[in-house]
Order: sequence, then structure tokens, then C-alpha cells
Amino acid sequence: MIAFILQRLMQSVLVVFAMSVIVFVGVYAIGNPIDVLIDPGATQAIRDALIERYGLDQPLWQQYFTFVTNVAQGDLGRSMVYNVPVTTLIFSRLPATLELVLVAMAIATLLGVPLGIWAGYKPESFSAKAIMAFSILGFSVPTFWIGMLLIMGFAVNLGWLPSGGRGPVGEFLGVPTSLATAQGWSHVILPAVNLSLFKMGLMIRLTRAGMVEAMRADYVKFARAQGLSELEVVFGHVLRNISIPIVTVFGLELGSTLAFAVVTESVFNWPGVGKLIIDSILQLDRPVMVSYLVMVVILFVLINLIVDIVYARLDPRVRLKGEE
Amino acid sequence: MTFHSLRAGVAALAIMAGAALPAVAQDLTIGLRAGPDSIDPHWSTLGSQAEALRHIFDTLVGVDENLQLEPALATSWEPIGPTTWEFKIREGVKFHDGTELTAEDVKFSIERIPEVTGPMSMTIYTKSVESVEVIDDYTVHVHTIGTAPSLPNDFIRLFVVPASIGMDVGNEEFNAGSAAIGTGPYRFVSWQPQGDLVLERFDDYWGEQPHWERVVRREIPDDAARVAALRSGQVDLINYVPASDYLTMQNNPALDTFVADSVYILNVAPVVRDELPQKVRVNGQEIDENPLQDLRVRTALDLAIDRETLVRVVLEGLGTPATQLMPEGFFGYTDRMGAREYNLDEARRLLDEAGYGDGFEIDFTCTNNRVPGDSVVCEALAQMWSRLGLTVNAQALNGTVFFPAAAREEYSLAMSAWGTLTGEASYTYGSLLHTKDADLGLGAFNRTGYSNAEFDALFQQARENLDDDARRELYEEASYIVMQDRGLIPTVILQTVWASQAGTLTFTPRVDQETLAYKITPVND
Repeated sequence: MIAFILQRLMQSVLVVFAMSVIVFVGVYAIGNPIDVLIDPGATQAIRDALIERYGLDQPLWQQYFTFVTNVAQGDLGRSMVYNVPVTTLIFSRLPATLELVLVAMAIATLLGVPLGIWAGYKPESFSAKAIMAFSILGFSVPTFWIGMLLIMGFAVNLGWLPSGGRGPVGEFLGVPTSLATAQGWSHVILPAVNLSLFKMGLMIRLTRAGMVEAMRADYVKFARAQGLSELEVVFGHVLRNISIPIVTVFGLELGSTLAFAVVTESVFNWPGVGKLIIDSILQLDRPVMVSYLVMVVILFVLINLIVDIVYARLDPRVRLKGEE
Repeated sequence: MTFHSLRAGVAALAIMAGAALPAVAQDLTIGLRAGPDSIDPHWSTLGSQAEALRHIFDTLVGVDENLQLEPALATSWEPIGPTTWEFKIREGVKFHDGTELTAEDVKFSIERIPEVTGPMSMTIYTKSVESVEVIDDYTVHVHTIGTAPSLPNDFIRLFVVPASIGMDVGNEEFNAGSAAIGTGPYRFVSWQPQGDLVLERFDDYWGEQPHWERVVRREIPDDAARVAALRSGQVDLINYVPASDYLTMQNNPALDTFVADSVYILNVAPVVRDELPQKVRVNGQEIDENPLQDLRVRTALDLAIDRETLVRVVLEGLGTPATQLMPEGFFGYTDRMGAREYNLDEARRLLDEAGYGDGFEIDFTCTNNRVPGDSVVCEALAQMWSRLGLTVNAQALNGTVFFPAAAREEYSLAMSAWGTLTGEASYTYGSLLHTKDADLGLGAFNRTGYSNAEFDALFQQARENLDDDARRELYEEASYIVMQDRGLIPTVILQTVWASQAGTLTFTPRVDQETLAYKITPVND
């Protein structure tokens, strides 16, 4: 187990390293960040001084070397736009994204899996067909458009919910979160529903496909012959057998949503990290881009690690590599 | 869930949402496309930064809504020698911490800029300052490097902070509020990058007391989200209404719209160097000469632009035909230009005379979504020029790609927006059209290789002249010459739209597009 985890961590270090090289070369290929940021009124002398001050006149390998040396000392750098440490900047916005994504994933899983089970259990029924039609809508209609519809319906026309932004932050078990206040919930509902629709569609289809296949398996027949109730058959045996792909997709979706919830964040003006990273790309704010992507890589590695451990719990046949 | 409990849940939500709406008439919530990058007023020249920080800090010299100078923390200013300006400081001005403003604070603020400013360097406003001398508590002498007649214009972005904060504080202390001490109408409450800027009225303000006790400036960069926030009543006012929403809003009795010219003008920049970075093709063959060097070709391009159509059709009415690089009334705007003519026959004749009667193929690069309408104007121009028999390959690129490539001078024919933010000619003509000269600090943004000795001579004469009227005349003459020579070809002045809940607010739109809470009043006031 420990060997397995260590091996994973080694891999992630390699990925982080490769990724930081790609970002450096990419930004270098686009051009000089100073030319994007600089004020039109600046003279040539001011421009040259700035380029020198940010070390952008040095060869690329040297800039990269300086960066790696600083990271080794625990310094990810300061944002060129905001002039605050990159870590402070990212962590000031991460809680907002976390709570949005967790609520969205909760909605997607808690609704999607039961609906998928039902649709797979009674595949010919009208309700099952309605659920499948809904799931197709869920992942084929663009997120920003549904977001706009939700805003027009619930915020502009009905006036029930706010059209965007994050609610007041309260404290829950010592963690500052807007989910601790009623107003916070009124702000999070629309964006979370918006964000969850795609994932819910995915969950429904995955679960249904697994159900349809599993219900024909011999162990279901034996379980029924044994006299187990349908509920016991479905939740005791079938669900456990079909949960590996569900957990895999859950993990992947959790990671990608955390990193790239940017469409929903823009439409609902949610102050999360997604908007921050898009802006930093548009302004070629290299320190923020690099640090954020490094963080995303680590996040993905961690989530996959947890998913693998969950596999082993769900299915005793799965053995983690590195375990003797 | 039964129907009744669902209904109860919805009702509960409605109540919670209702509580979130700004209800008190003393509060103003504004939805803005962009906000500041920092609370340190000396960090960046970004327009939305100055706009936000104007609430907390005052500038030495003020500007009215047409960018004309007016007294602010300095009550008067005059040159007392060829390289010395005297500024008289307003007496009885209080900082938010209760201390009084003196000349030392002004000196400190000027000297602090080079120490702390970032990549959008504010040193462009202090570049002509040699040294600052405090004469008494309310008099400052600024010694300049050479003659600097436009120093007061540079100082419209010179925010004054108290000397007591010391040279060591930076963005963190300002963002946290401990150093955010100004003399402005509002005091700082809180701010997060890309989040809300919360302000509270400062009761000891030296100027007119603003109406609103509490102001929230909320950053909502997404156009659709900003419009939705207004329509759902979450904010009282928004800026930068997109053209498509403007049309629907005009038919919506629940909303008011405000429209005004901006300082931003879309200019076409033809490269006149001997060799073009993207070569022109005739009958599919690249040619070595540069047709844009010929004034007749540049004039033909100009004459083929139908500016009325650009405004009416392409920009949905949200623009004004431009005749020169600055809007009317700015220092150095020349009345001699008159409206630019649209004359296809004359354009064809000139092109023929220049030896390009069969046309040529040229690449045309523009910014995309940097300012409203840039990419659509780009495509429209390509079509207009195709009527001359030219093949124009228009391409609108994101600013992240466009600006670095433009700085490397990779485009033969380009278009981007330029705003004369200081309200006078030397800023614009000196950067864009003067011959590139690093020693004089001129022509830094001259990417076309344009060089006109007659214009340069007049411009430099003006730059040295401390007499306002004489200088104005020289600038007018210089801009006339360079506009006739089509060094750059201005197309349209962009307009900006604000929108508010109907019948609630009044304000005068400003050409610099700033949305200032203390200039906004309720209708029933």
C-alpha cells in the first residue's frame, strides 16, 4: 500500500515537471507578457526597464531555472497582475469553487445514480424513457445556455433566487463557507444545478448501462431464487457490482469540475478559481498559470489515488500494485 | 416531497432571495465589467483601477466628464520657469485617518511611484519629473527634465497617499486596508481580487458630500451575467451593456439606458516601411514593393470606408464617425479636418493612378473583443475594401496574441482601439505617429515605421511650448498634417452604454467611461 502511494507520488512529480516546462515554452511562444500588460503611454525606456525587472530578457532556460530554484525554496512567485503571492491568490478563491463543486457533485450523484438504477431496472417503462431523454438533454445542451435559462427563469422572471455571486460566508465546524448561511444556499442552488446537469446525465447513463447488463447475470437469478427481495438484490448485490465504473467517472468528473468549472462560474459570477485561471491566461500572468496547473495535476493524482483505494474496498479481487 | 411542501420551500427561498436585494435607498450596488488589480493607487495604470480608486484617493489635478482639467487637491498650477511648475495645495483637506494633507504627502506620492509600480507602469505619469521641492505646507515645486507643458495632464492620475504610511508598504497592506488611507469621498471597507469593492462614505470629505452612504462595486465580467444581475434587481446600475442587449433594453420600460461617446477610436495602421512583414500579393505572386508607402493607396483605403454604414449597421448605432485620433474638444483636436469623405470612384481612380488598378491581396489583422465591436468592424472594413478590387484577408485575434505580435511588428495592416486618456494630443500623437526615438521617449507605439519630418518638427516645438494657446495651435497644425498624410486612418469613435433600473438614478456619462458613485444621484433627490 505505502509502496503504491509512493509510486503514485513519484509519477505526479514527473507530470508536474513536464507540465511546468510546457507552460513556460507555451507562454514564451505566445510572446512577452509585458506587451499585453503595458500601458500605451509608456516609452521604450519604460518598456525595457520592465522587461529587465521581470527577467524576461533572459534566455528561457535561465528563466525556468530561476523559477525551479524558487519553487525548491517554497516560493511559487507573485502574480504579475495582482502582485500578491500566487498561493494566497489561489487559496482565497478555492473555497468558493470547492463548495460549488461539492454541492453539484452531490446533486449529480444522489439524483443520478437512483434514477439510473430505476431506468436500468425497468428499461421499458415510460418513466425510464423519460429519464433517459432527460439525461441526453443534460449532456448535450451547452452549460452556458442552460445557465442563462435558469437565470432568466428563476432570477429575472420569478425573482425567487439571486442571479449570481456568492452569498455571505458563515462558519461550519470552523470552516468558513457560504453553505453555513441560508442566503448562501440561495446563491449556490442555481449554479450547482447548472453544473450538475452534465454529470447527472453521465451518472444516469452509466448506472443504467451497468444495471441492464447486471440484471441478466446469473447471480441475480440465484439471488432471486434464494428468495431475496428485489431491494436486497438491487442494492445488496447489483449496485456493488456496477459501482466501479461509477466511482471512476465520479473521481474524474470531480477533478475536472474543480479545475474547470469556469463556464458556470462566469455565467453566475461565482468568485472561484476558474475565472482566475482564464484571466491569468488572457493576461499571460505566468506565475499564476504555472502554479494553478501544478495544483491541478496534484489534485488529479490525489483523486485518482483515492479512487484506486476505493476500488480495493469495493471489489476484493482488485489488488493495488506494489502491494505484496 | 408533496406539492404543499414544495410550495413552502419555494416561498422560503423567495424570502431569502428578497433579503439579498439592495433595499435601502442609501446603498448603491454597481455591476462593473472590470475592477481594480490592487488597492495600491500607484501599482497600475489600468483604467478600471483608476476608476475604482478615485473613490478612495484624490488626484492632484482633476478632470471633468470631458477630460478637461479642473482643480482637485491642487487648487492652481502654473509654470514659474522653463523647467519648474508650481502647484498650490488645497488647505484643510483631511485624510481618512484624520491627519491633514500637506505638500510633503504630494512629494511622497510622486517619489513613491517608481518604487512600487508594476508592469502597467505608472512611471509614464512621472517620467518628466526631475525632482520635487516642498516650498511650504501648501506649495510644491516640480522640477522637470526639459520643458514639460503637459505635466498637469500627467498628474490627473497622480493619486495622493499620506507620507506617514512609509515607503515599505505594498499591495498586501493596501488590499488589507491598513494602508488604504486617502482623501477621497469614500473610505475603504473591503476588497478581494475580482470580487466586491465595498466603500463607506467619508463624512469629512473636502468636496461635495456624495449621496450614497455605502457603495458596493461588484465585478461581473460576463456580459450576460451583468445584464441578468441588473434585470433581477441584484444591482442598481451596470456599465458596458452589449449592443444586442441595448436594443432590447430600449423597449423595456423597467430599465433606463445612458449612451455616450468614449475616448476609444478604432484606427487602421498601414505599415509604411520599405519591406512589409506580410508581403502583398498581386495575381497570387508576392511582390517586394510596399503599396502602402504610396499616399494615394492609403487615401484610397480611407475613401473606401463608409463610416455612416459602420456606425448605423455594423455597430447598431453605438458609434460616431471619427475624423482624427481624438474626439472633438480634446486639446489639439483640429476643426480643419471636416468629416471624412466616402467616395469609391475617387478611391478607384487613386488606386489606378498608383499602379494598382487590378488590386492586390493583403492581410489585415485586428483585435477581437478587446473593445465592443472591433471584430465586426474588422470584417466590414475588409468587405468595403474588396469593393476597390482588393482581396483582404481579415483576421481578428485575441489581445493576448495580437499585442505581443504587434510589438514585434509582424503585421502589415492592423486595427486596434486607442483612447486618449489624458485628454490632450501629445499622449496620442507622440506615441503613435512621431518617429520612433528612444532618447526623446517618443514613438514607443509607432508600429508602422511612419516618419514625417514636418510633423516631428511641429510636434517637438509644441512639446516645448509652455503657452497653452500657442501649443494648442501647434498641435492642431501637426495633427492636421499627419491625418492628411494618412499616417493612421481613424474609423469610428466607440460609444458606451450604461443601464439602470428605470427612474432611479441620474448621472452624466464620462468620455473616459468611468462609473463614479459620487457623481451618481437618485432621481427623487
